[in-house]
Amino acid sequence: MAGVAAAGAETMNAIYDTVGIGWRPELAAGILDHHARIDLVEVIADDFFGEPRRVRALKTLSAQVPIALHGVGLGLASASAVETWRIERMAHLVESISPLFWSEHLAFVRADGIEIGHLAAPPRSDATVDGAAENLLRASRIVGVKPFMENIATLIEPPGSALDEASWISKILSASDCDLLLDLHNVFANGLNHGYDPKEFLRQIPAGRIRAIHIAGGKLISAPDGTQRVLDDHLHDVPDPVFDLLEEAAALSLNPLSVILERDGSYPSMESLLAEVSQARQALARGRTRRAERVEVPG
Amino acid sequence: MSAKQFEAFLARLYVDAGSRARLRSNPLAEAKNAGLSNAESKALENIDWVGLEMASQSFANKRELRRPRSRFSSLTDRLLRVISFLSDRVRRHSGRRGLE
Repeated sequence: MAGVAAAGAETMNAIYDTVGIGWRPELAAGILDHHARIDLVEVIADDFFGEPRRVRALKTLSAQVPIALHGVGLGLASASAVETWRIERMAHLVESISPLFWSEHLAFVRADGIEIGHLAAPPRSDATVDGAAENLLRASRIVGVKPFMENIATLIEPPGSALDEASWISKILSASDCDLLLDLHNVFANGLNHGYDPKEFLRQIPAGRIRAIHIAGGKLISAPDGTQRVLDDHLHDVPDPVFDLLEEAAALSLNPLSVILERDGSYPSMESLLAEVSQARQALARGRTRRAERVEVPG
Repeated sequence: MSAKQFEAFLARLYVDAGSRARLRSNPLAEAKNAGLSNAESKALENIDWVGLEMASQSFANKRELRRPRSRFSSLTDRLLRVISFLSDRVRRHSGRRGLE
């Protein structure tokens, strides 16, 4: 395992950050070949629901490398209650695998029987804060472990919102006592698409809640009005501004961070992915050094 | 209109081009037909149309990519749903008895 101990650790307790890759079938052989250079893998939980053979294989994998489970289909950030059977599927998988942590998204994915097909941002309002908190408290109780909740990318500012994104996320985390899986490419994309400063966003969310981080790449797409927006497609290399945000997050947080590189297609060589893993470790180390220097200099 | 109904209205917009076209041609009438409050109607009048179309296209692409589920998986899901439904009913029933 190649965890990153914080620079400046001699003068303070060491913070052991870890860096891994999202498990995808196309990357399986490469990950297993290089597992000594990868601290953890994150597995899409929904791919294993009702698939006992796959779960057995996942247990075997968990003996090789620590695993985090990532859900995409619960739709917990909703004014509607998530059905118990959906949460129980996650509970069974968490019980079978005993992951490092499990996570889901601050999104809704269905309403009134309509399946949106992906993660949609609900109106950022007190009603969805309350609904999300109730869903998260129920999910935590049924699964037995609280999830880390991920901020999502959205191409549209959700209509009917009364709160800005940072306030909405902070309120949900506080009401549910859940920690944050901070997706930095989503912050980068939303910042560009909706006109805010991603670094300022990081300062507005509770740093003490950040426990895990996603990094990924996307692309600019042209809108019909001639403007451009960032699509978070996970098909491209991690851009430099996202590594800068990773450094910033490491400078703000005192928690050990689990960083996951997400790649969903247009796969480069394993060496290229491992180079991005190394870049992530370097960004973490730079951030930890800054944090240590701030702690050491009084005032 | 409740927050749940508003979410359902948004979900319909995201998946149905016809709903988006009707909203675009006459936002206030469409909002009124859906029973939206004045505040919600106002929010839809000021909706980011470009973002709505781009997000809807992105959701459509994701739905297209979604793998068909195996027969085994859907049977397991149905079984879990029945067990979950029955256990919810037992919990509710025993909760009521506790209150009595």
